[in-house]
Amino acid sequence: MSLRSKAAIVGIGEVPSGLYPERAGLESALESSYQAIKDSGIPKDEIDAVIPTATFYDGWYNTNLIFSRLVEELGLTKHAKINLQAVAGGASGAALLKTAMGLINIGTARTVLCVHSEKWGSAPVQSIIDKLATFGISEEWDAPYGLNFNAVAGLSTERYMYETGTTPEQLASVVVSMRKWAAMNPNAFLGREVTVAEVLSSKITSTPMHSRECNFLCDGGSAFIVAAPEVAAETRTPVWVWGMGSRVTHYSLGQERDLTRFGWAEAGRKAFAEAGITPQDVDIAEFYDSYPIYCLITLEELGFLERGKAGQFVLDGHTWPGGKLPMTTNGGMLGQGHTGAGGGMAILVEAARQLMGKAGPRQVADAEIAVETAVGGTYMDAHVTVLGRERR
Amino acid sequence: MSETTPVLPVTYPWSRAFWEAARRHELVIQRCLNCGERIMYPKYFCPACMSKNLGWEKASGRGTLYSFSTTYTWPPSAFAAATPYTVAIVRLAEGVQLLTNIVDCDPAELRCDLPVEVVFDDVTAEVTLPKFRPTPSGAS
Repeated sequence: MSLRSKAAIVGIGEVPSGLYPERAGLESALESSYQAIKDSGIPKDEIDAVIPTATFYDGWYNTNLIFSRLVEELGLTKHAKINLQAVAGGASGAALLKTAMGLINIGTARTVLCVHSEKWGSAPVQSIIDKLATFGISEEWDAPYGLNFNAVAGLSTERYMYETGTTPEQLASVVVSMRKWAAMNPNAFLGREVTVAEVLSSKITSTPMHSRECNFLCDGGSAFIVAAPEVAAETRTPVWVWGMGSRVTHYSLGQERDLTRFGWAEAGRKAFAEAGITPQDVDIAEFYDSYPIYCLITLEELGFLERGKAGQFVLDGHTWPGGKLPMTTNGGMLGQGHTGAGGGMAILVEAARQLMGKAGPRQVADAEIAVETAVGGTYMDAHVTVLGRERR
Repeated sequence: MSETTPVLPVTYPWSRAFWEAARRHELVIQRCLNCGERIMYPKYFCPACMSKNLGWEKASGRGTLYSFSTTYTWPPSAFAAATPYTVAIVRLAEGVQLLTNIVDCDPAELRCDLPVEVVFDDVTAEVTLPKFRPTPSGAS
């Protein structure tokens, strides 16, 4: 079954990413939900399903989410049909969208609230690094060797540079691109622009990664409303899902057979075929960017560029504001900040925001089609979503 | 590592033979006796054919360095005293691969596809981790 235009994103909400120790995780979830519902124009009592993703900061708060707290907070106890948690690490935004579309297309729901919030920025950095060293990392085969996420990115980057000849300057330019977009995003934590030289002069974390090429852990939250076609058609700015593809290629990073490709090519082919478009038709590339390497891999594996050409493409400014392929226009996790399961979700929300024409100073003119990617764990899966302003 | 408690593998009944072999300073690979699949890491049943008829074979201990990353800052707490250390993925001559550490070398001399060989790190009296080092030049 094709998913083309079987649902649309009709409302979005987001709180600023950064360090907000006084802001409860619940507040970030409620404020984001409030904004998304108001943005959609749909009465809140018509929300049939609530799908929160996970917070990894506070176990008590996460069980609140699993066991329907948001249904009570939103006053939906006389109407809601289902509350469930959907989690796929950094790919959770894609998992929420797919789950919502599934609920809509089996007739359980017509309007679904998807929401995330996290408080990583409020915790001591070392405590989150220690926690992350258990996320998607095998307690038997990876953890005893000290695998950590900067090294996860380092393993991919080292091999990719070896196979393609991509230079440190080209990799660093991804951060330059992200920061240029973040500078125009009031919800971004790292809104100061940087140069290639500044990125390359920052200290080495895990080779060959520089600290400015590593994402920053933040508090944050975002939400989006997914609606059935007949509901979406009555809203002001629906963003239609044109196609989706995905592949899961490993659990333990040590078992990934190609750290420079993963499952992107297959996921991309499926998504583009379902949407009936090619990469040449895309106006905006909203790519998951927890580290620079993943943007380069995605640009190539999805067919935007030949293998080994993505680094120079970014260094030449083609993904920057005003470039021919605007990429990750909220600044991504390297600019807006990494909010855990929400890092990728913020990129999906940004894709919708751009196609709705609500991106303010960073609005890409005449944006009609966006492709969005998400990935979780140690880059275990590849999710590709094509979104369009028109119903087709 | 002596100043911190090492992170020990949390094992499962079906992987125990792997760790017992490591303690004897042997690297073994699980093998499906039905379809012949070499299985790394050990599984409850064969991920290729779902047979539960599984055995073990001794590995050569030789392979190549698929990729590596040396951690200098922000390690997990348990690795603070061991920093810097090098995480790597090694492809064994038998075709399977595993995540490990590269030891006994200057990390600056590492490059992808370098020949490596297994060494055994007795991290406690009961637990030994297979690690790898560059194969001394001249050896094959």
